[in-house]
Amino acid sequence: MAIGNHFISLLGIFACVASAEAASTDQPKVTFGGFGSLGISHSSMHSGDYVLDSGIPSGPGRSGAWSTTNDTRIAGHLAAQFSPKLSAVLQIDSEYHSGNTYQPEIEFANVKYVFMPNAYIRVGRLALPTFINSENRDVGYTYAWIHPPMEVYRQEPTTHSDSVEVNYHIQAGEVGNSINAIYGKSAIETNDFIKTNELSSKHLWGIFDTVEYGSTTIHAGYQQRRTDSEYLLTGDYGEVKESNLSVGLQYDPGNWFAMSEWIQHKSTYKTSAMYVSAGYRVKKFTPYLTYAQNNPGSFLPGFPAPTSEAITLANRAQSTVSLGVRWDFMRNTDIKFQYDQVRLSDNSNGFLANTSADVYGQTFHVISTVVDFVF
Amino acid sequence: MLPLFLAMVIISTDAYADVVVIVSAKSHVTSLTPEQTARVFLGKANRFPDGGDALPVDQAEGNPVRDEFYAKVAHKNSSQLTAYWAKIIFTGDGRPPIELEGGMEVRKAVAKNPNAIGYIDKRDVNKSVRVILEP
Repeated sequence: MAIGNHFISLLGIFACVASAEAASTDQPKVTFGGFGSLGISHSSMHSGDYVLDSGIPSGPGRSGAWSTTNDTRIAGHLAAQFSPKLSAVLQIDSEYHSGNTYQPEIEFANVKYVFMPNAYIRVGRLALPTFINSENRDVGYTYAWIHPPMEVYRQEPTTHSDSVEVNYHIQAGEVGNSINAIYGKSAIETNDFIKTNELSSKHLWGIFDTVEYGSTTIHAGYQQRRTDSEYLLTGDYGEVKESNLSVGLQYDPGNWFAMSEWIQHKSTYKTSAMYVSAGYRVKKFTPYLTYAQNNPGSFLPGFPAPTSEAITLANRAQSTVSLGVRWDFMRNTDIKFQYDQVRLSDNSNGFLANTSADVYGQTFHVISTVVDFVF
Repeated sequence: MLPLFLAMVIISTDAYADVVVIVSAKSHVTSLTPEQTARVFLGKANRFPDGGDALPVDQAEGNPVRDEFYAKVAHKNSSQLTAYWAKIIFTGDGRPPIELEGGMEVRKAVAKNPNAIGYIDKRDVNKSVRVILEP
């Protein structure tokens, strides 16, 4: 599906609906909103850049002691409700990415049709709900941390796909269950691989289930796709199946929260990652503590032998202890401070980018602050 | 004595209005639990337990009755509520209830529509609406 055409037709639809008059007690037909974050961080590691996501070309560390690249973005979101059953959204994000620019990109552009009281279908560019906070990972205001734990969220950097999605919700008393099935394709920019900076996949499909009971949320998903192996580390020999199995648990009764997520990622190699995090809300302050780690992983049999460079690149093992606080100091705006102690495992440069030398086994420190807002 | 005095000041300034949850006098709904009410206002349910359509009507942000309602029913303060809706709005999964300016407007809107559900200060209740929950 050509996203360009998609975008133009959506704009046309929004324009038509915007001109319709809404009755005063009805919901508005078209709403515009947005969110953003202004962040700065410092790393004590001088031999590489601390980057949160594989699409970010540079970060604090080697390229500069301080950097705004990791946690700075702005996004606009347009939503239209054509009828009780038919709606559409368009979201455009601007954040630092490949090419060293903040050039805006379409994050979401989709049309949703509620075909049964408890079921809908969505078509277009839509969220890939791998994790509990996948869909809203760019919206810092929606969680306590400065950003979701990188060890886990980097395992699946794709935030959206060009897909068809069917969602079915069942409410049985206090228990709500939503099941999602997705089929489509995806493409993301990345600096992680030797040959390319775009990782594209097709025949992407996934099943995701979310159970909510009182303050408890359980989220689990399985997804797989065909990815061109030139993007992987063991050489170019056609397409390879990639898959993710993810499970998350969150408990949030109001004045505190605890959550944990785990993922296993498989392509030509297999790796896993997890985090646990908890926070306590004291009036406008939410201090929190997080521990996250990702494992070294291992190459799977049945593929060409990896080169030594590939073996080095595949081992990203590290662990982080994060201590931070969120302060809701004014309406629709928060400020957060976070300290991270990052320990690289043996034979691993972790997720450092632009490394000038191997720094296996070292420990370094990152401090960050961010102001998040929604409007 | 000073701590006691401060405590009294805090208690008295924090003293809430008494919020009650209402439906139209024409509605068939007679009672809801706090959990059922929260699900309707958080967009997790669009029907009453008896199967009828539920149309929640909110009060404007910054209104103390609104803050009290969400604290008691959904255990969320205003920032948590904004964060909750930001997650839903910016993923295109839904949108918050209609907002009306004050208790009188909410009462009028609820009285007129048998599907509507709102919350107001107990002192604003009259015969046009039925109280279904005093959280």
